[in-house]
Amino acid sequence: MAYTKELSRKLYRDLLMLRLFEKRLIDLYAAGKIPGHIHSGIGEEAAFAGTLATKKEGDYFKMSHRDIGASSLLGVSLETMFAEILGKTAGNSGGRGGINHISELSRGMLGFSGTLGCDIAVAAGAGLTIQNRGGDNIVYVYFGDGTTSRGPVHEAINLAAAWKLPVLFVCENNQFAISTPVSEGVPVKNTAADRAPAYGIPGRVADGTDVFAVYEAAEELTREIRQGGGPAILECKAYRWRGHFEGDQARYRDQTEADRWIKKDCVQKMETWLLEKKMITETEIEEMRAEFEAKLDAAVIFAENSPEPAPETIYDYLYA
Amino acid sequence: MLVTYGQAIGDAMKEEMRRDEAVVLFGEDVAEFGNIFGLTRGMVEEFGKQRVRNTPISETAIVGSAIGAAVTGLRPCAELMYSDFTMVAFSELFHCCGKWRYMHGPEYKLPLVIRSAMGSSFGAGAEHSNCVESLFMHAPGLIIASPSTAYDAKGLLKEAIRSDNPVLFFEHKQLYQVKEEIPDEEYTIPFGVADVKRRGTDVTIIAVGLMVRRALEAAEKLKEEGIDAEVIDPRTLAPFDKDTVFESIRKTHRVLVAEESNKTAGIGAELAALIQEEQYDELDGPVVRVAALDVPIPYNIALERFAIPDAEDIAAAVRAMFA
Repeated sequence: MAYTKELSRKLYRDLLMLRLFEKRLIDLYAAGKIPGHIHSGIGEEAAFAGTLATKKEGDYFKMSHRDIGASSLLGVSLETMFAEILGKTAGNSGGRGGINHISELSRGMLGFSGTLGCDIAVAAGAGLTIQNRGGDNIVYVYFGDGTTSRGPVHEAINLAAAWKLPVLFVCENNQFAISTPVSEGVPVKNTAADRAPAYGIPGRVADGTDVFAVYEAAEELTREIRQGGGPAILECKAYRWRGHFEGDQARYRDQTEADRWIKKDCVQKMETWLLEKKMITETEIEEMRAEFEAKLDAAVIFAENSPEPAPETIYDYLYA
Repeated sequence: MLVTYGQAIGDAMKEEMRRDEAVVLFGEDVAEFGNIFGLTRGMVEEFGKQRVRNTPISETAIVGSAIGAAVTGLRPCAELMYSDFTMVAFSELFHCCGKWRYMHGPEYKLPLVIRSAMGSSFGAGAEHSNCVESLFMHAPGLIIASPSTAYDAKGLLKEAIRSDNPVLFFEHKQLYQVKEEIPDEEYTIPFGVADVKRRGTDVTIIAVGLMVRRALEAAEKLKEEGIDAEVIDPRTLAPFDKDTVFESIRKTHRVLVAEESNKTAGIGAELAALIQEEQYDELDGPVVRVAALDVPIPYNIALERFAIPDAEDIAAAVRAMFA
C-alpha cells in the first residue's frame, strides 16, 4: 500500500499523542494526583491509531481501559479528560465515573463497563440502531485478550454475527490477562481472530506494533462492514510494556521477551520510517512533541484548578 | 374494555410501537412465537422483523445490546423470559443499566425496559419461580415496576417505554389470564405513586405482585372478623411512594408487608427498616413480614403452595397483630 505524506504524518501524530498521554498519566500517578488506578497502554498505541484512522462522522465507539488517550482522537478535549481523571467537576461525569469512563456521547462514545466484557454487547446494540436507521456507519469496540475469555463476549459477537450488525471487534492482544499469559488461559493461537470462523465472520491478525499493518487490516475490514457485510474481528498483536496497573512490577514475565517486544516500539518504528522517507524532519518531531506537552500541561493545570464535586451533588446524574 | 393482564401488557407495547418508531422489541421467542405466554402475538406481523426480533438465548447480550441501542436513540423494550434469568445478566443490569448515566454523565440516557415474567406458576421449579425485585432494590439507578392488575400493568408499561431511565418491569405469571375492565382511552401511570387498593382503618397491608390479590382476599375475611385492613400496592418499588404508605400508617399504626420473594433480605426487610426509621412513633407494634419461606421454591405442588403465602397466611398474621 502506498501511503500519502498526509496520512503517514497523521498516524505518527496520533501515535505520538497517545504515547505522550500515557507517559503523562504515569507521571501524574507517580505524583499521587490520580485517585484511582491506571492501566498503561504504552506499547499498544498502534491498535487505536491504526483503526481509528478509518473512522467516519457518525460512527460509534466502545473504548478500552488502556490507551484512554484515544478518546482525544475522537474529539474529547484534554481538559475534560484530565478533569475526569482527577475526579473533578469539569470531567464528563463530574468525577463520578473516573478515568475509565471518559466518554462523550456527542462524539459517538457509548460508555465503558468496569466489569470487562459486559459492554461488548453495548456495541452490538449501537449496531442495531445503525442498522435500523440505515447508512454506512459502523461501531468500533475495543477489548483485550483477557476479556475474550468472558461469556458475554461470545454472546455479543454471536448476536452481532447473527444479525449482521455493522461492528468491528478490535482485540488488543497484549499477551497478558493481568498476570496470566494468554497462552495459559486460551487454547488457540489468536484468541479473537481464530474464533471468527465459528461465527462465520472475517477475522484478521495484524502486527499491533506496526500502525500501517493495523490500518490496512482495519481499512479492508471496515470497508466490508460499511457495505453491509456484517461484523468482523481484528486482533492486534502487541505487548503490554508495563504491569497490569501502575504499581504492578510484572515480575511474572520474562524480561528477555519483554525487551524483544519493546524493541518493536510502534512509535519509534513510525518515526524512523517517516525520517527515512523524508516525510518529516527531526525539528518537526521536536515541535510536535513540544506542542503536545504544552497541551498536556495546560489540560492538567485546568483539571487541577477545576473544583472538587460538592457532596450535595452526589445524587446528580443517577436518574434522567 | 375487558382485557386480561397479559393482553394489557401486549396492548401497551403495540400502542407505544405505533406511537413511536424508535420503540423496538427483542428477546427470546418474541417474534413468530409471540413470547411463551403469547403476549407479543401479532407484533412481528404488524411491525416487521426489523422492530420485533428473536434473539439467541443470550441474556447478557439482550441487556447489553438494549443499553447500546438506548444510548444511541432507540427505545428498546427487551424481554428476559423469566425473571430468574435476570441473574444471568446481573452485571449488565446492576452495573451497566443502573450506573451508566452516573458513570458517564448527563449526556447519557437509557430509555430501555427489561420485561420479565416472575413468580410461582404451579410446579415451574426452583429456577423458574422466583420474585427478584428485592435483589434490584439494592441497585441505585434502576426503576422497578411490579404491577398487580391489568390497569396498572398497561399504564406503567407505557410510562416505562416513554421513560428515559432503565426500567425493570416484572409481570406475574399467575396474573396473565386475570380479566379486568380498563379504560378504552389512553393513560399512563407515573412511577412512585402507590395505589390504595382497599381503604381501611385498622392495619396497613403493603402487598406486591400476586400478594395484592391475596391481601385483598385476606382483607375480606378479616372484615367479617371486625378488622378493617387497608391494602396498598406500591406498584413501583423504586421509586417507592413513602408518602402514601406513611399516611396510611399514621392512620392505622400497624403494618404488614406481604411479598412472594424469600423472607430474608426481601422487600419486607427493607420496608420494615425504613418504616421503623421514619415512623417509629406511629407504630403500635413491630412491622410484620409475610413472605415465601427461605427455601428454593419446590416443584411439588403441595410444597410449593406451602412455601408461598396465601390469603389465609396473611389473614392469620394480621389476627396475630391484634391478639
